[in-house]
Amino acid sequence: MGGERSKIWMPLDNAALIFPAIRRKNWNNVFRESVTLTEAVNPVLLQQAVNELMPRFPSFYLRLRRGVFWYYLEEVEAPPLVQEDYAYPLTFMTRGEMGRCCLRVLYYRNRIAVEFFHVLSDGGGAMVYLKTLTARYLALRYGAQIPPTDGVMDVQGHPDPEELEDSFQRYAADHPAFCPEAEAYRLPGKRELGRFTGLITGVIPAESLRALAHRYGCTVTVLLSAVMVECVLAMQEEQVPKKRQKPVKITVPVDLRRLFPSRTLRNFVLTVNPGVDPRLGAYTLRELCDTFTHQLAAETTPQRMAGRIAENVNPQRNGFMKAVPVILKTPVMRAVYDRRGEKLGCLNVSNLGAQGLPAAMAPYVERMEFIIGVQYSYPNNCSLVTCQGVTCINMIRSTRSTELERRFFSRLVELGVPVSIETNE
Amino acid sequence: MYCVKCGVRLREGAKACPLCGTPVWCPEAGEGAPEAAPYSERYPVIRRQERLTIMAALTVALLAAMVACCSICLHTTGRIGWSFYVLVGTVTFYLVFLLPWWFKNPHPMVFVPVAFLSLCLMLLLICGYTGGHWFWSFAFPLTGIVAVLTIGAIALFRYVKRGAIFITGGLLTVCGGACLLIELFQHLTFHTPMFTWSIYAAVVFALFGGFLLLAGMIRPLREHLERKFFL
Repeated sequence: MGGERSKIWMPLDNAALIFPAIRRKNWNNVFRESVTLTEAVNPVLLQQAVNELMPRFPSFYLRLRRGVFWYYLEEVEAPPLVQEDYAYPLTFMTRGEMGRCCLRVLYYRNRIAVEFFHVLSDGGGAMVYLKTLTARYLALRYGAQIPPTDGVMDVQGHPDPEELEDSFQRYAADHPAFCPEAEAYRLPGKRELGRFTGLITGVIPAESLRALAHRYGCTVTVLLSAVMVECVLAMQEEQVPKKRQKPVKITVPVDLRRLFPSRTLRNFVLTVNPGVDPRLGAYTLRELCDTFTHQLAAETTPQRMAGRIAENVNPQRNGFMKAVPVILKTPVMRAVYDRRGEKLGCLNVSNLGAQGLPAAMAPYVERMEFIIGVQYSYPNNCSLVTCQGVTCINMIRSTRSTELERRFFSRLVELGVPVSIETNE
Repeated sequence: MYCVKCGVRLREGAKACPLCGTPVWCPEAGEGAPEAAPYSERYPVIRRQERLTIMAALTVALLAAMVACCSICLHTTGRIGWSFYVLVGTVTFYLVFLLPWWFKNPHPMVFVPVAFLSLCLMLLLICGYTGGHWFWSFAFPLTGIVAVLTIGAIALFRYVKRGAIFITGGLLTVCGGACLLIELFQHLTFHTPMFTWSIYAAVVFALFGGFLLLAGMIRPLREHLERKFFL
């Protein structure tokens, strides 16, 4: 049929190249963003909203395919069906499921949750999709007139080519910035819960957290990273003799859209690993905050980041690397990841920041949540987002022990921050 | 409702603190309605059955192919001729590549020896069928040497957490020795000249192995190599 439109397809962006290679039979890199509304979700209208967003967000309605030299993404036949949420977040996304769609839309009571395989987008891009989906759902459910501001897109509009670009290619520097790093302490614990992931959510008034960060002269991300490092340092001190201790570092994702004028909705994020070496002495919380503030400031300059992008992009541009079949590239990429990928930080502290909402949308929304999955070999991870004056800190784990969570939230309470705890167990 | 130990606020109706496990004691409990659980009771269906179904289908398909081959062979030649090789090859392929897929977590220390045993058995059957005299003097020691080296390498890399460079260096050196041994068995069985190819292989293996052992012992060299060859 000559009139039929050929399917949209796109190569993976630079950051996404690693994710198909490192997925395992019981683990892959999926994250979730969710919004809790004031009333129960109507799944029929939610499905309609999901369907209507398909032309506006072509980079989200994609499935993963394997080419000869690289994996690539191809447009899905039909939008994914909304499903009732499971007993735990980030249930394993099978290869078959990725072959149908790398996106999953779930609902439970008042909550709309979207789970993304990381090849599609990062937290920042995914948040735009979630906000627009919620706005469209609210428009269908209540007839709310929500203007396209504060990260909500116009559903009737056309996707801007800049939204679909791989910004890593555009903003890479001419020279790579090499940054050798020491391995970090590995938190104890193995995958004990099978595919189940334990989740503890700390719900905190955003203002109290901001006031505390202000008292320590740092950002909320730095404060929480410092508190987390304090807890991990104490755990290492109890479990490992001084001589064999390792640096304690936190992996902090940096949204590169804040450093470069990119409008992409695909991955555009790099991580930095601020940390301290306990063999050099003890640190107070204030010292940790100061250290991390300086470390992050030094690492997150546009020049430094452009150099680090070049370091990642250069192998992808290499003619030899291009010509190696994907079946050979995959084990090499996996080996590199196993050797270095997860060893530079003890866990992530991924902060999506304070999310504003259009005034017409705010009355329907209670809060938002952001959950990243556990790493393959490391048992804990932490992510947070602030919306409607509420900060939700999600600590996910693949072990039974809640020692890190206990120390972290108790320390926040000690510092004067009121914490409400929720769990999926 | 708060945890007396951690100081965090808990969900109404909670029996214990999720952080420290301290039981909740609250005199006012039961006055307010318990809060709804934040997650549903729905668990994903893990489709292990799907793999087992595929395995069963593959097994049946291979059996059918073997029966078909035997029937055709019997029909055309009146005896089990070429189909013997198909039968033996298929069974070995099944034992080596497909058998582990029946299990959830196939352990290499079990299935690698099984693979070598089945390979050995296949060679023995072929040797017997063709009336050859090469199995005990050549094929058996050759398979044995490769099996011992492979199983040893898997065990060392799996159970010895440190010293990967020494293990690799040692294994490469032993591989060099194994080449000489294999050519010796080749010489004894087929009366080929001694030291034609194995000496070169042994020297190359010994050079690489020795270099790695040396690099393992000299720390600055090891660190330099790690920096240079870091992927």
